[in-house]
Amino acid sequence: MKNKVLVGFATLMMIAILTGCGKAPQTQIDAVNAAIEEAKNAEAAVYLPDEFAALQNSMNAVMADIETQKGKLFKKFGDAKLKLDETLTQANQLTSSVAAKKEEVKAEVGSMMESARSVIEENKTLITKAPRGKEGAAVLEQIKSEMAAIESSLAEVQTLNDNGSFMDALNKLKAAMESANSINTELKEAIAKVRR
Amino acid sequence: MRLKRSWKIIFTITILCCFIGIIIVLLSLFAPKPPTGEVEYARELIYEAGRNNAASYSGRSFNEARSLYDSAMTKWKEENKRFILFRKYDEVSSYARSSAGKAEQAMQESKITSSNLQFKLKHKIDSLDLVVADLDRLFLAWPLPSEIRNRISRGKLLLKESLIAFDKGQYLQANRKIIDSEYLLTSSLEHASSNMTDYFRDYRLWKKWADETISASKRNSDYSVIVDKISRKCHIYHNGIKSYEFNIELGDNWVGHKSVRGDRATPEGMYKIIKKIGAGHSKYYKALLLDYPNPSDRETFRKKVAEGILPPSAKIGGQIEIHGSGGRGIDWTEGCVALTDPDMDIIYRIARVGTPVTIVGSLADLDDILR
Repeated sequence: MKNKVLVGFATLMMIAILTGCGKAPQTQIDAVNAAIEEAKNAEAAVYLPDEFAALQNSMNAVMADIETQKGKLFKKFGDAKLKLDETLTQANQLTSSVAAKKEEVKAEVGSMMESARSVIEENKTLITKAPRGKEGAAVLEQIKSEMAAIESSLAEVQTLNDNGSFMDALNKLKAAMESANSINTELKEAIAKVRR
Repeated sequence: MRLKRSWKIIFTITILCCFIGIIIVLLSLFAPKPPTGEVEYARELIYEAGRNNAASYSGRSFNEARSLYDSAMTKWKEENKRFILFRKYDEVSSYARSSAGKAEQAMQESKITSSNLQFKLKHKIDSLDLVVADLDRLFLAWPLPSEIRNRISRGKLLLKESLIAFDKGQYLQANRKIIDSEYLLTSSLEHASSNMTDYFRDYRLWKKWADETISASKRNSDYSVIVDKISRKCHIYHNGIKSYEFNIELGDNWVGHKSVRGDRATPEGMYKIIKKIGAGHSKYYKALLLDYPNPSDRETFRKKVAEGILPPSAKIGGQIEIHGSGGRGIDWTEGCVALTDPDMDIIYRIARVGTPVTIVGSLADLDDILR
């Protein structure tokens, strides 16, 4: 009887060794997936697209590695666990970097917005001093129309900014700023010509 | 007896271990191998395609590649759940190969599409720059309706936004903006060109006036003056040959014939100098007073009032001169023709009371101007 118990125990031990040596680190996988999702929701694909693509690629590599191990008789998830830890750190760092990048763009938008508004205000003053017909009243009308278009563009920038689309806001703002500066120069030159 | 039994147990366990070992070796030898390399290759290609913006420029192929990769992984997981000998990785392998193929296709498509788009955008930006240049060159000082002015302004701004996106390599965004910009700018150019075409309906008349003025100069061996409003030039002819050409400045509402007092328009027609005003007697250095309004102008004015085009209270205006104090680089007069003081000295010296002064919209025809 004792013999049979011993043989049975030994068999069970062998089976346990063969099949249950390693368990897939599902909790870690879930944690990394959640961290990647968090980075995605933070708009990592918009603000740091290359880093986000690299993160997704790392995770895919780890998952392929895990499947490779799952298919083996002797499963070893040690490497995969280490890589999962690294990927988790990478994902968390990316989320932080995206937040920092967003803040940076947001601050740039804020500061450029202020400059743009100040140039627009200066342009409004300059246009009252500009010769009535800087190459004709029509030109003055064109400048006023361009100023109105810039102001309307700034309103769109504000909306984009309020909605958190800082990158789109920045691109739009740069064009508006460039136009406002060009009008500023044009008006100053026109005023200087008349004063001669 | 007890020793014999112990040996028996050890022997049994050893046999069992050997048996299990043999099974392991056999399983390892005969178990199907997963297509790890193929899956890894597909993953790497997807990553590379992504880095080449395949998601943007070849979205369909790229998404197919990713979907096939996901299918490969799902199938692999399913097969791993089966008993080791019963696993079949053919489908996994097939999905992985298809995924790699699609990823490669996406990468090539993306490279070609983005390169073509970049070329197309560059060309489009250049051509729209020319449209803007044409609008500025031909119509900046042209009185256009405010709606058209607004379209031009929005179009210019969108072109700038498009250029910023282009410089950042955001070609799709640049393309969206350039489509809107192109519509606004080209439709404005068409409208303004049609407006100019309307103005040039009098071109034959202008040409006739100019030819008659030059002929008169030749016939009379005398000086005559032709003012070209569009080119902002004043040409002096002597014996039918152009002897001087001066830059001029006009009133800010220079397009079209003068209709009414205070409209800051410069009249178009064949006039004569009726008075020479010397230095110290003119507000603008020296002046040559023209016989505006002439009988033809008075007749046109009367007709416009009678037809209700002008209000009964409208006055025809007058005091149109060629005078000095010009050279400001802007249109600033009340409808007169302004020259620089040195140029004014020349014209003042050669002109006399009765010298013909013909003012036309343009001496060049519309095609030449648009070119």
